[in-house]
Amino acid sequence: MTEEYDVEFVERGEREARFLVRGVTPGFANGIRRAMLADVPTMAIDTVRFVENSSVMFDEQLALRLGLVPLTTPPEGEFGEDETVTLSIDVEGPATAYSGDLVSNDELVQPADQNVPIIDLKDDQRLEAEADAVVDYGKDHAKHQGGVAVGYRHLQQVEVVGDLPEFEDEESRIVRGVIEDNGELVPTSEFDHDLSNRYPGKEVEVEDVPNAFVFHVETDGSFSVEELVTRAADSIESRATELEDAVQL
Amino acid sequence: MELRVTESTDTELSIEIAGEDHTFMNVLKGALLEHENVSAATYDVNPEQSGGQTEPILTIKTEGGVDPLEALEDAAVNVREKAISFREAFEAAA
Amino acid sequence: MMVPVRCFTCGNVVAEHWEEFDERANEGDEDPEKVLDELGVERYCCRRMLVSHRDLVDVVSPYQ
Repeated sequence: MTEEYDVEFVERGEREARFLVRGVTPGFANGIRRAMLADVPTMAIDTVRFVENSSVMFDEQLALRLGLVPLTTPPEGEFGEDETVTLSIDVEGPATAYSGDLVSNDELVQPADQNVPIIDLKDDQRLEAEADAVVDYGKDHAKHQGGVAVGYRHLQQVEVVGDLPEFEDEESRIVRGVIEDNGELVPTSEFDHDLSNRYPGKEVEVEDVPNAFVFHVETDGSFSVEELVTRAADSIESRATELEDAVQL
Repeated sequence: MELRVTESTDTELSIEIAGEDHTFMNVLKGALLEHENVSAATYDVNPEQSGGQTEPILTIKTEGGVDPLEALEDAAVNVREKAISFREAFEAAA
Repeated sequence: MMVPVRCFTCGNVVAEHWEEFDERANEGDEDPEKVLDELGVERYCCRRMLVSHRDLVDVVSPYQ
């Protein structure tokens, strides 16, 4: 009864990737997408204790900014639901406080980006604060959302069916995503998303390939793309196992 | 995950699955519909209209003398296997 | 005030690129479109975050 899935990477980076999955139903693809957005927990600052804040922004505003800074999230099982990591920041003006100024007490939990300006401090202004980071889910707050702009599109099959009439003006034909041409996967950005650039003077037919989806996955830096996808699959698996156990009782 | 049966006969079952949302329910429903002895399966996440009920309720109808609860268990196994084989396929490519 | 840390729409961290963008496109005379492309800020939801932002810290700081 198990399906055979086939995964193939189209583009691949540390924080951004595109991959094709064959043999997946639309419902399951959507389940994976939703799990990547809402059900993969990440680290983020949740509570801030201000020692001194004489900047032009309120404590609450700065706490929000600190919360939105992505932190690297340690491997699964490393941190429990209510364990915290403390980060501190102490910057005196005139200077700008950056996310890179956050000092963490845990090597595994560090700001993923160093250049996020927190607050611009003028003469005699100072920011000193202590923050607690916790693990939580994307459904509870967007700062815990590890996946950014996660989505999928059908893989599209392009077939040349003939020539265009000789004296007809060529019309542009825009497609976005990834096309399959004789088994070769081509991102549409290679021909400026316009099929008339790739097949000049030809008449082409475009069709969705059933059950083949091209996922576009980007992360906020909390973990790699691979980590995000496998954790999303794990979260669905663990819920299925839980249901199985609950039904057996 | 807490389960609460709201209606149950030999061929029909309504069950509340607390704490889940579309992410899991839709995948589960899809797996139930692939089951050969399930004639109907649907879920309703019940917005506020139904007197504050917000947990999803799954309804299953079976044929061929299969207990709906068995079908649900099969579907859960199916979803689990799908998730595992997806992860394995992904890891093989990664 | 300060540049938003993340894009309101998609959640991408855009503040990371603010200072370079400000220096090159606002203070300098480079084309904002090219700067954004080079910084890798691709989607228009993220691009508008930087293009439409105005730093106000210098404006409000005398009134502290």
